[in-house]
Amino acid sequence: MPNPGISRSILAVAAIALVGSGIIGFTNTGLGAALVGDTRKVDLDQKATTGIEAIKELYRRPTTIPFPKDNLYTPEKAALGKKLYFDTRLSVTSAQSCASCHSPSFGWGDGLAVGVGHGMAKLGRRSPSIVNAAWGEIFMWDGRLATLEEQALGPIQAAGEMNMPLDQLMVRLASIPEYKPLFSAAFPRDGITPKTLAAAIATYERTVVSERAPFDAWIDGDEKAIGEAAKRGFALFNGKAVCSSCHEGWNFTNDSFHDIGLPSKDIGRVEFVPNVVKMKHAFKTPGLREISRRGPYMHNGSLATLEGVIEHYDQGGVERPSRSDLMKPLGLTAQDKADLVAFLMTLSSNLSPTVVPVLPR
Amino acid sequence: MRLLSLLTLVILAGFSAGALAATQMVNQKGRKFSMENVTIKKGDALTFLNDDNVPHNIMSSSKGNEFNLGSQVPGNATDVTFKAAGEVQVICAIHPRMKMMINVSD
Repeated sequence: MPNPGISRSILAVAAIALVGSGIIGFTNTGLGAALVGDTRKVDLDQKATTGIEAIKELYRRPTTIPFPKDNLYTPEKAALGKKLYFDTRLSVTSAQSCASCHSPSFGWGDGLAVGVGHGMAKLGRRSPSIVNAAWGEIFMWDGRLATLEEQALGPIQAAGEMNMPLDQLMVRLASIPEYKPLFSAAFPRDGITPKTLAAAIATYERTVVSERAPFDAWIDGDEKAIGEAAKRGFALFNGKAVCSSCHEGWNFTNDSFHDIGLPSKDIGRVEFVPNVVKMKHAFKTPGLREISRRGPYMHNGSLATLEGVIEHYDQGGVERPSRSDLMKPLGLTAQDKADLVAFLMTLSSNLSPTVVPVLPR
Repeated sequence: MRLLSLLTLVILAGFSAGALAATQMVNQKGRKFSMENVTIKKGDALTFLNDDNVPHNIMSSSKGNEFNLGSQVPGNATDVTFKAAGEVQVICAIHPRMKMMINVSD
């Protein structure tokens, strides 16, 4: 006969153990999962990169554009991709092209708080710039697409955006005689397919690279290329203001996802990484090249000016469980804020005009 | 009562099994895992140490070895014991460039 008293005690201990393991292991110690043990503190002998010259080395521009092995660059692909990018016939209404929302006239965005899609309806988020997309690790504000090729086909098909079914688009492109030789030149074996369409557009997008800005000249050693306020701003950017924790490297992003405490109901990244607390309201860190031409700012265009953006970071945003641990009041002075803006202004180049292509008929 | 103490011990030992078995350290300095691939045996643990200067959120959704360390601040180390054989894709939810594969053998 089992002793009921002992059984109850065993159950109680087991229950305490399960609760304990839940606390230690955060969210996952159910059956069929890895076992998360206790967390302990370790003394780190951290040697942060110090000295302005060492920090500057982290911002040197790359000399070549990376293209993926399965979609290498050819001039034919890029030329075709450019025509497709600017062709409004890629939308069901023939009224919108990729360039409608990602326009060279607005730093490869659209200058609006949120994008405008099919039927001129407002979208939920700001149109991101495609500048330096070649270096992107993951795409869309919420990171739901893994490659630029996938991204290229996303807005074309999205009902709220260009609303164009791919099979219908293939028929339409095939009916435009001058497209056929262009596809044949770029993809001799494949012709007009959704895959070649995406490969061509992505190849063109990868050639859209921010030009050399005054900041780059300073990185290369020209001390007069930027002003003293901007130099102080750079030091703040990498120090007290902690901007470089996410806006890292020459393109000023490490593609990381953070809730930066903007008051918004948009759940962001957590839709695709469920049950991860820090991914709620989290969006991808945008690069900062050409930033002075890319307002309004943030994923929802809610801040009109760079001064407003810096003010938001100085205050730390809405405190909630998902907010990034990096977000906290910074205690910036008025001089600090002005210096940071002066620095950000040095990231814009004297953009040469983009030549709009003649489209196939 | 003796049985109860024994059971408590067994359960507590289970909690710290990861710590005892931890043999290899996975570092995260510079937003990079110190190893891209590693092979371990079923029941072995790895220690994930955030020796970087920003928080990380190490996790896996691979079937049978799911885990989520939540926001792990610099200086924190956590052991994870892998119970199922197979490939385990480990990522940082915050930093998508951080990826590693663990091959858990039988």
